Amino acid sequence: MHIRPILSAMRRNKVGAFLIALQMALTLAILCNSLFIIEQRLTLMARASGVDEDNVFVLTNQWVGTPDDLNARIATDLAGIRSLPGVVDAYPSNSYPLRGGGWSDGVMLADHQVHPNTHTTLYFADEHALNTLGVKLLAGRNFSPDEIGSRAENSLGHPPVVIVTKALADKMFPDGSALGKTIYVEDGPTTITGIVEKLQTPWVSNSFGEKFPENSMLEPYHYMVSGYHYVVRAQPGQLDAVMKQVQKKLLEINRARVMVKVMTYAEVRAEAYRNYRGLAIILGVVCTSLLAVTAFGIVGLTSFWVTQRRRQIGVRRALGATRRAILFYFQTENVIIAAAGAAVGVALAVGLNLWMVTSFEMLRIGPAYVLVGAVAVMLLGQLAVLWPALRAASIPPALATRAA
Amino acid sequence: MLKMSHLAKVYRTEVVETYALRDLSLNVREGEFVAVTGPSGSGKTTFLNVTGLLETPSSGQYLLDGEDVSQLGDDARSRIRNEKIGFIFQAFNLIPDLNVFDNIDVPLRYRRMAGSERKKRIGEALERVGLSARARHYPAELSGGQQQRVAIARALAGSPRLLLADEPTGNLDTQMARGVMELLEGIHRDGATIVMVTHDPELAVRAQRNVHIIDGQVVDLSEEPRFHGVHPAHAQTAA
Repeated sequence: MHIRPILSAMRRNKVGAFLIALQMALTLAILCNSLFIIEQRLTLMARASGVDEDNVFVLTNQWVGTPDDLNARIATDLAGIRSLPGVVDAYPSNSYPLRGGGWSDGVMLADHQVHPNTHTTLYFADEHALNTLGVKLLAGRNFSPDEIGSRAENSLGHPPVVIVTKALADKMFPDGSALGKTIYVEDGPTTITGIVEKLQTPWVSNSFGEKFPENSMLEPYHYMVSGYHYVVRAQPGQLDAVMKQVQKKLLEINRARVMVKVMTYAEVRAEAYRNYRGLAIILGVVCTSLLAVTAFGIVGLTSFWVTQRRRQIGVRRALGATRRAILFYFQTENVIIAAAGAAVGVALAVGLNLWMVTSFEMLRIGPAYVLVGAVAVMLLGQLAVLWPALRAASIPPALATRAA
Repeated sequence: MLKMSHLAKVYRTEVVETYALRDLSLNVREGEFVAVTGPSGSGKTTFLNVTGLLETPSSGQYLLDGEDVSQLGDDARSRIRNEKIGFIFQAFNLIPDLNVFDNIDVPLRYRRMAGSERKKRIGEALERVGLSARARHYPAELSGGQQQRVAIARALAGSPRLLLADEPTGNLDTQMARGVMELLEGIHRDGATIVMVTHDPELAVRAQRNVHIIDGQVVDLSEEPRFHGVHPAHAQTAA
């Protein structure tokens, strides 16, 4: 190995090597943390909402004015929607998973408890909700039609029964005995009559929702306001056709409305995670740019070194170095610089992560990310040095005898 | 030791062919000290490059130590340069970033020689050129004469079969040049085969034999050997 003479030569040309090592260290630190953040966001984006997303769409209905026959209008609309071919089921609600807005409240085990045990989303639903959303009932029963009440705007509800997600049930009753138990929500007691497998909150990409991402509660209400959402489930493969039919049908029933938004769940999901996706893309672009700049820096400096050492390379070739040996020399030199950069970069990466953990409640970075980052930076160095090193290896030995 | 038959070296461009060497034939016996002279542009450097396997001849045959090296591949030529040929350049060609010890170590490392053996050889070579105390110095800290001595030590450390010297005193003042020549003569007395390219007639006469090159051809050969001392190998060759 030629490490000692390479180190010896580098000691006499410290500045360039130091700057490249520093650049690689900074690249590594930013790369590791960016990859960690991207991976975290992608994991969050990949979470299941609990909804049969392939076949469900939402329609935001806004009545013109403030009609006083809302209950009848909702009933007529639902009957019309459910009668359409290709429609599995439908229900009206104040919100739906991933929407970005909705109702929440504290949940308590005792009346007038100072601090709630946890928080939950409040989804208004009827006996068609579970079938429409496609959520699995793990225990208990669905609402019955006679349990569905009307909920006026800005009013407190006192639902006699509620259906909760398993996450909320386990949070309130870790021993698994939630079914049939009384809990306190909206300042009143209610009984858990059913437990469903999963239903995410509307707030999946902000710090508020992340505190209770799957704590959801279905309350047996129709929401009596002029603006609310119809959630509709179509037969598999008929989503697009059903979306058009439903809009047409609703206008046939009553034209005094605005269908503010009609979105497939794929669109709902894309909208919900737009910030995360944007962040991942920006960080990806930053990482790619940083890697490119670092690679160009290595190519540039190594090319300069090759040009500067042309005669020296010719002499080495004359003294018996093969082309492979010259290539290996520059690769080894780069490995040494990259290893130094990686060592400093690992420390910087951990330091940067610790700062973000303290300042932004980020998670601690795993050693795998730092390791992958270090390997990536070293491979980048080898890749970047290849072209100038090959150029160096092509320098003919006869250069040694040419006049300086 | 060295046998060249009808060697030619042609540099071709799209429009012109330039013969740097033309029908060059030359034998150098083991232990000989041959000076190759000629005016600028006569082909001396090309002769040196071809002899030192730094370039391949366009045609003809070149036997080095009994092996046909005329058209060897790059790796094979590198190996032979490393193992059989020692170079002494006009501009010394020491690597400025390496100290004297590491400079001499360069060709030995390419031979993948064990560390202890390399250290022993470097020590002996430095002692031979009288620079043992300068092993940790860098080239810039040495005089021209000392740098050339280091270059000679680098050439000697590998125990080459052939020493090729390219104007070895061209960059030195008279006193330093005399010292370097005496050193080369001493190395020759110890049995080395030396081919020295020079345009200096005063240096040339100190070799055993002069070869004159003009326009890439050997035009004059003096076959009368002049010995620098008594050496059993030379005595046998001369006989």
